[in-house]
Amino acid sequence: MENEARQNDTIIQVKDLKVNIKTDDGILTAVRGVDFEIRKGETLGLVGESGCGKSLTSKAILGINDKKCSAEGEIIFDADGLGRTDLLKLKPRGDEIRSVRGKQISMIFQEPMVAFSPMYTIGNQINEATLLHITKDKKKSKEISLGVMKKVGIANAEKRYDQYPHEFSGGMLQRALIAMALVCNPKLLIADEPTTALDVTIQAQILELMKELQKDFGMSILFITHDLGTVARMCDRVAVMYLGRIVESATALEIFKNPQHPYTKGLIGSVHKIGTKNQEKLFSIEGTVPLALNLPAGCGFYERCTQRIEGVCNAYDPTLVQVGEDHQVACFACTGCPKGGACGGRGKEGGKDE
Amino acid sequence: MSGKKQILDVQHIHMRFNSKGVCVRAVTDVSFTVDEGETIGIVGESGCGKTTLGRCIVRAYEPSEGEVLYTAGDGETVNFTKIDPKTMKKYRKEIQMIFQDPYSSLDPRMTVYDIIKEPLLANFPKMPKAEMDQRIMDIAAKVGLNTSYLMRYPHAFSGGQRQRIGIARALVLNPRVIVCDESVSALDVSIQAQVINLLHDLQKEFALTYLFISHDLSVVEYISDKVGVMYLGKLVEYAPTKDLFSRPMHPYTESLLSAVPVADPTQQMERIPLEGEIPNPANPPTGCYFHTRCRYCKQQCKETAPEYKELEPGHFIACHRAEELKLKGFQYDD
Repeated sequence: MENEARQNDTIIQVKDLKVNIKTDDGILTAVRGVDFEIRKGETLGLVGESGCGKSLTSKAILGINDKKCSAEGEIIFDADGLGRTDLLKLKPRGDEIRSVRGKQISMIFQEPMVAFSPMYTIGNQINEATLLHITKDKKKSKEISLGVMKKVGIANAEKRYDQYPHEFSGGMLQRALIAMALVCNPKLLIADEPTTALDVTIQAQILELMKELQKDFGMSILFITHDLGTVARMCDRVAVMYLGRIVESATALEIFKNPQHPYTKGLIGSVHKIGTKNQEKLFSIEGTVPLALNLPAGCGFYERCTQRIEGVCNAYDPTLVQVGEDHQVACFACTGCPKGGACGGRGKEGGKDE
Repeated sequence: MSGKKQILDVQHIHMRFNSKGVCVRAVTDVSFTVDEGETIGIVGESGCGKTTLGRCIVRAYEPSEGEVLYTAGDGETVNFTKIDPKTMKKYRKEIQMIFQDPYSSLDPRMTVYDIIKEPLLANFPKMPKAEMDQRIMDIAAKVGLNTSYLMRYPHAFSGGQRQRIGIARALVLNPRVIVCDESVSALDVSIQAQVINLLHDLQKEFALTYLFISHDLSVVEYISDKVGVMYLGKLVEYAPTKDLFSRPMHPYTESLLSAVPVADPTQQMERIPLEGEIPNPANPPTGCYFHTRCRYCKQQCKETAPEYKELEPGHFIACHRAEELKLKGFQYDD
């Protein structure tokens, strides 16, 4: 019963998603089996460092990855007009995915300067989506676009409508990009590092705007970032990604209060909190992210982990295990040995001081 | 501040750029002093002139007005803005820069070894090769580069490793002052922590003085002894780090602090919104530059520019109402 209610509540379910990239050195599996779901009206934060596959995951949802990439697994989206469909089974250039892409699921990209074409006016570019998905009537379409531009806080929208991207500041352009994403009233908004390129004051404005609009439009957000500060401000739930896998997922409160995975602990520890006593050193995770080509067996984090258990972590692949209500971790040091008890169950607490 | 030697004394620096007949005031009347071994953080939004200020100090730009007094290692005080290029060269060794983007600040056609060697060649052309090699090896090891990779090209390194190359290049001349212009902004958080720790260790070892320019306030709070806040080319507040973050006295600092994302969902500050956008520096507002966006603005602020003065020991502010306002900052644990 409960399961079914939850089913109805989820808007998108990603199951065992893998993304392979063809390179000169062979096939690189950049996303290695990712599972998550997003419920209605919820914001899920996908956190990880560059190269962990978070952008590939989001682009796989829209089917806009590069030709060199191929995705496997299931992405079940509760689409209007199609019902629950696996987006990966749709033809990438077919009508069905096009009725979803840009309308029901839309995306905000990282760099607003790059996301807009410099050759067309802002109004023209926002209109493109409206004309394609909502109405063929140009006058009506302009009205809708102007309405959304006002909604995202672009002052003087009528004048701004006919301006080109270079006449906008970074913050204003990001607002225009949000307007473009929201103009078709999407059910799911994917925001790929939407504020990374912006100043803190503008960033705070944009984040607040997104929260407000989320309330108004009732949409769900997949918020992709590497900045834990914005995660704390924006997200209901958080999934931490490392090397193409989700290593921990929990509610935002839980992730910050009770992180389990050594990588999550490291990430949180390496951000300095203003007002705390100056530690001698910032906690840092040693080493760098290994290349996803020819990965050794076992946990991807093994080389950099402070709590690794030899003979276990480098031999078996950890999977997500429930450790609390709405809290899953893929780590043997936290959840116990796959062979049963040999490694002494739960790992040490408080990874910060190790 | 007894016993500490002053190393930099920046006096009334102005930097104006002329573009198509329009005069853009990038830096207007900035003054501050830096003691030896200190880290000074400079924060502000993009376009506020913090990079220009850094470049004026290393004299990559010739300031339009003002003086940069530098007390050299030999105890002599020189005025960077007055000396001729030949003498300047002698002092350039002592003041180096680490750049923002680890991708574009390294020449892709030079090996790492050559990149680190270049400053030595320029400054000590007669140094014997063996000694040069030794210095390059030492510094590479010190910043955590694998010395067997020195013959590789920058593309073979990750962002964090490249930033280490940039640091090695700056350190190879044994400088006394390093200007770090957004040096960790382009890095991932875990790598950022590594590089910050490295900068910290190097500072202790070589008694370095840092001028740390960044828009990331938590990094600045962590690394700096004193912090300066810039707005539209002016220094609006300058104070010891803890004072500035716990008791800001300029309204701009207050709203900047309130916008900092805190990595703790239970501890979110109430944001003090800034209305509108940064005015055009080619056509700055009258009076206090900040008055168009300030929520405490009064008639006086629109008419006269506030004086930049020391209200408490070491705490400089440019605001008419600094004394009467009670502004909110971060709460400190102790």
